[in-house]
Formats: sequence, structure tokens, C-alpha cells
Amino acid sequence: MELKTKSFSKEILNLENIELVCDEICQKLRLDIKTKLKRRGAVVGISGGIDSSVVLALATRALGKENVIGILLPERDSSPDSLMLAQKLAHKFGVRTFVEDITPVLEGFGCYKRRDEAVANVFSEFNPIEDKAKIEIKQTIAQNIPNVFSLTIVKSNGFHISTLLPSKEYLQIVAATNFKQRSRMSMLYYYAESLHYSVVGTPNKHEVEQGFFVKYGDGGADVMPIGHLYKTQVYQLAEYLGVPQQIIERTPTTDTYSAEQTQEEFFYQMPFHEMDLLWYAWENDYKAEEVALVLNKESKEIQNIFKNFERKQKTTEYLRLPPIF
Amino acid sequence: MIDNKEVKEKILQYILGATSSVENEIKDDTLLFEEGLFDSMGLLFLIDFIRDEFQVETKDDELVVENFASINSISAFIINKIELTESNDSKKLVIIHK
Repeated sequence: MELKTKSFSKEILNLENIELVCDEICQKLRLDIKTKLKRRGAVVGISGGIDSSVVLALATRALGKENVIGILLPERDSSPDSLMLAQKLAHKFGVRTFVEDITPVLEGFGCYKRRDEAVANVFSEFNPIEDKAKIEIKQTIAQNIPNVFSLTIVKSNGFHISTLLPSKEYLQIVAATNFKQRSRMSMLYYYAESLHYSVVGTPNKHEVEQGFFVKYGDGGADVMPIGHLYKTQVYQLAEYLGVPQQIIERTPTTDTYSAEQTQEEFFYQMPFHEMDLLWYAWENDYKAEEVALVLNKESKEIQNIFKNFERKQKTTEYLRLPPIF
Repeated sequence: MIDNKEVKEKILQYILGATSSVENEIKDDTLLFEEGLFDSMGLLFLIDFIRDEFQVETKDDELVVENFASINSISAFIINKIELTESNDSKKLVIIHK
């Protein structure tokens, strides 16, 4: 945990020397891949999202574009924008790409069938061909209660139906959907091993610490160069590194469920700029009263948000633990 | 008419079975989330238990700390829901009877 040295402000997370931050990350990435891991290049799964775009840009800067490849891994539920933006990014940085549609792999695992079966257990009227589905947290983060997911289906006429998910169906939907991240991880390691490269992971600090990743899925990588950066800092790096503006302006989505869904709806329950500041405040033991004053909120609300963070970190500890032996 | 004491006892027994707590550690007003007895999955399994044991469905907007903070609040939530259902059922019967 960092030591608290300055008073809390909205600007406390602004990176003052972005060039230096990028240089340090790149130097460490070179050292990790070449010296520690003894690999000769980097494989990055690119989704057209901000995190993987910044990681690709950093890897290119660290290792040279000829030593980095971008893998695009769309599936049936992916937005077509994701593929288009990832290709645009790779073109911008001159990186070779490979497109691997993982839909047949997921069909083989029964990913869609198992997920849709659980959705239909909750909503018998669910038609997987015409309707779309997503899971989301409907509680506000300031409520002092653990998060529980609801299932929403969007009918072909745009009508939404939502209900709290029973545990059996919730677990089945999550377990089935996690085939997506785990299949992607397998494909990334195929390319990494066939080229003697490393897999460079793309989670940011929130994803790592709040457990917004799949164990042995997107959490499976050799090195995670932005795992210590807050989301707003990732955006600062994106601007500096020249990530295409369309990617910077895109709302972060999960791109996992058939119905459209932002990361805020799915997991974080608040905008990134606020979450960054609050997480930093919590992690560095700032008093709720001081934070409330700066963010123009009630102290009680801040206290509840801090409790929610603590719960999220504890609940997801299992995801970050290596195998126990 | 459902008995409050009986509901509380069933909830207590469920909590003892679902967590590593011992009986004298959990009072009717023990704050279950504050004490770290339930996380998200724990709460979800508790909601399943309430549905299976008392035939009480929890809705999205009922998932608030006031309904789940302690054995007292869970019991009050269950009893209110059961009474509401019974009252609605008897109104329906009156309408049918008329």
C-alpha cells in the first residue's frame, strides 16, 4: 500500500510525466520478456478496447513492431466494431495481425447452449435466436449490501424483462460464458508458443484488484504491464501513445453477452473517473469525510463505497491466488 | 399465521450451516454483512434458501440492506412478504365470492 503524502484532490491521479511513465513500463516489459521469461516477442489479444490498445502500443514501443503480433478473437456475440477498431489499431502501429473466430470452438464447448439453457430456465419465453441477454448488477454501489446479479433479456421488439438471478442459473451462465475468455487464452498461447513469444495480458488495476477477469482466461498471461494503472491513467497513456481517437472515445463494454452492456452496468456501478479516485482514496486510507468534501458526496455514501470495495477485493481473492500446494 | 420465533430459528440454523460460525456468536441483531458472514454468493444462496424454505421470492428492488442486514430484518422481510401474499389472496377470494 502506498503512503499517503498529499491531500486528496480530483487531480491526484493525473500522471505528470507520461513519457517517463511509458518509458519505465517499456523498459520493464523488455526486461520481463527478454531476460526473465527469455522470449523474443509479444502476443497481444486486441479487442478494440482501450486497455488492449494501450498494451499493444506499449509492447510495440518496447520491443519493436516486428516483434509483436495482435490476435483478434471475435465470436458470435462480439460487436462488429470491435474487429474494425482492433484492425485500425494494428494498422496504426504497423503490427501483424491474425483473426481467429472462436465461435466454432465455443460451440464445441457448448458455451452458448449451456448459457441459453440457464437463461431459459429463468425466462421460459427466451428465444436465443431472436432475443438478447445480459447479466448486470442493479444495486447502487453506495448500498451497504453485497452485489447480486440480475438477468435481463431484451426481446426482439426492444422490450426488456429483468429479474434477480437464482444461484444455479447465475453460476451456469458465468461458467458457460467464461469459456470465451479461456478459449481466447488458449489461442493466444498457441501463437506465443509457435513463435517463442510471451502472452502480454491487458487487465488494468481495477480489473486485477476488483476481480473483473476470468481465472485462467484473460487473467492468464505472462506479464501484465498496465496491471498497476488506474483506468483514467490508461486513457492518459492512450492519448500520449496515439491510440486511435475512436477507441479512446468508445464506451468500455464487456463485449461478452449478446445484449449490449457497458462495464459500468456489468460490474463497476460507477463512472471510471469517480471509481479511480475512490479506489485510490480507499487504498491509501484517506478519511471518508475528506473524500466526500472533494467529490461533493455524503460521508456515509463514501463509507459504504469503501465497504463495497473491501468486499469486492475479499470476494475475488480466489481469482488472484495461485494453485495451493 | 407464521411464527416470528420459528422463522428466526430457521434462518439461524441456515446461517450456522452455511458459514463457519458457532451458535452463540450470532444474535438476532448481528450485522451479517458487517461481520463478513456473507459475500455476494453467500447472499445469493440465502435468497435461494428463503425462496425454498418460505416460498418467498426476492425482487430486484427488495435487495436492500434494510431487508437483509440481520436475522431480525430478514425475518421481518419474510413475514411481511408472506402476510402481503395472504392478504392479497384473501382479497382475491372475497372478489371471487362476491
